[in-house]
Amino acid sequence: MLEVSDVHKSFGENDVLKGVHIQVDKGDVVVILGPSGSGKTTLLRCINFLEKADRGKLALHDTSLPLNTASKKEIHKVRQSVAFVFQNYNLFHHKTALENVTEGLIIGRKVAKKEAEKIGREALTKVGLSDKYDAFPNQLSGGQQQRVGIARAVALSPDIILFDEPTSALDPELVDEVLGVMKNIAEEGTTMIVVTHEMSFAKDVANKVIFMDGGVVVEEGTAEEIFKKPKKERTRQFLRRVLPEEYIYSI
Amino acid sequence: MAEGLNISFLWEAFFIALSGVPITLLVTIVALVIALPTGFILALSRFYRIPLLRQIASVYISFVRGTPIIVQIFIIYSSIPLMLDILFKKYNIGINIYEIHPIWYAFIVFSFNTTAILIEVFRSALQSIDQGQYEAAQSIGLTSVQAYRRIIIPQLLVVAMPNLCTATVNLIKATSLGYAFSLQEITLRTKVAANMNYNYIEAYLAIFIVYLLLCSAVEYGFKVYENRLARYQLRMA
Repeated sequence: MLEVSDVHKSFGENDVLKGVHIQVDKGDVVVILGPSGSGKTTLLRCINFLEKADRGKLALHDTSLPLNTASKKEIHKVRQSVAFVFQNYNLFHHKTALENVTEGLIIGRKVAKKEAEKIGREALTKVGLSDKYDAFPNQLSGGQQQRVGIARAVALSPDIILFDEPTSALDPELVDEVLGVMKNIAEEGTTMIVVTHEMSFAKDVANKVIFMDGGVVVEEGTAEEIFKKPKKERTRQFLRRVLPEEYIYSI
Repeated sequence: MAEGLNISFLWEAFFIALSGVPITLLVTIVALVIALPTGFILALSRFYRIPLLRQIASVYISFVRGTPIIVQIFIIYSSIPLMLDILFKKYNIGINIYEIHPIWYAFIVFSFNTTAILIEVFRSALQSIDQGQYEAAQSIGLTSVQAYRRIIIPQLLVVAMPNLCTATVNLIKATSLGYAFSLQEITLRTKVAANMNYNYIEAYLAIFIVYLLLCSAVEYGFKVYENRLARYQLRMA
């Protein structure tokens, strides 16, 4: 359904992506793992054109476009079917939870206000915030804000949702509520790409795990393959460092 | 002067000063109407480092900030008629440049001056808005214009409001320099009335009070508007 290939991106002298290729099928939950600076986030941002890649191709459904020279119109079209959940939520501070969710529907998609509010309430209910429709972001906890962020993405019924380290900015005890919501959405069959450091989520929910390092995909496979039988030494090294001890011993 | 304050003239001067308020407000409002959009666009050019426009904006700002308004008034008031004269003669336009109402010069001088101030006000407000707000707006399918209109500008106004208030109040006070080109505003009207019997102290007091009242009212208005815009920042107890 979505395929990006040969993605290159550098910031000045720093080559962040050196020819990445990933492919996502409908219903896939793809988790991208890797140490900081491996280019995971940049890759995600390039897919949604928040960052302009230096080179590369994006194929979505049956259209294919260059990542570096796509027109505004083409970019707009991609964003209609690819939603993004940000690490630091990026909720609109001056809008209520419900307005945050309906903004993209009413303004971006020209859905009638009544209809949009209905969709918005459903999305917020789905993430467990049916009592917070009228709360402003600064009245919500980090976990609640991120759930609004997820509702904002879900409400647009995109073909695919990109999650950029959705729990990294949260207090540890708030992480689970957000992961729970993501798991529910995944179980409904939503296609998603998740950049995360939450290994448990990768193990339990992902049907495809990609390990990136140094701007390239080092290894990819099912969660089982990557966690139990990693082929590359670099992957093994990384997992040894991030996985809880008991898990290592159980291998 | 020995007989103390002439209370009846003070009273009279107060109303003469008040009669200048409409002109002062008109100049202020016209200057703001011109300066707000122009200042915002030039602030964007600095923020996004648009070549040429950005350099022009920066030279313009240092010119305005680095010179007293009274000098700007002298330059514009003496150079514009000269330029217009040449232009009118060339195209045979039958307007006598010496009959142009001074309020037109006031519009030019004060919008020229205020635009420069507002560029900096808006630029600092723009810098305070998290880039993530713009990215989030784009990611949900808003165009850049929609993102600015619906997401960035409402938040930016809250940040800019205190500085906009200062700029507006400074502008109101600066219009008193209009006396230099016979603009019939608060200061000039009252001073002229004082000339008759040398009641300057009373006249200055009256002017002082009228500006104070006017500026306090404007400040209060800004405060109310700012609180309304910033409702979202209030935390529910």
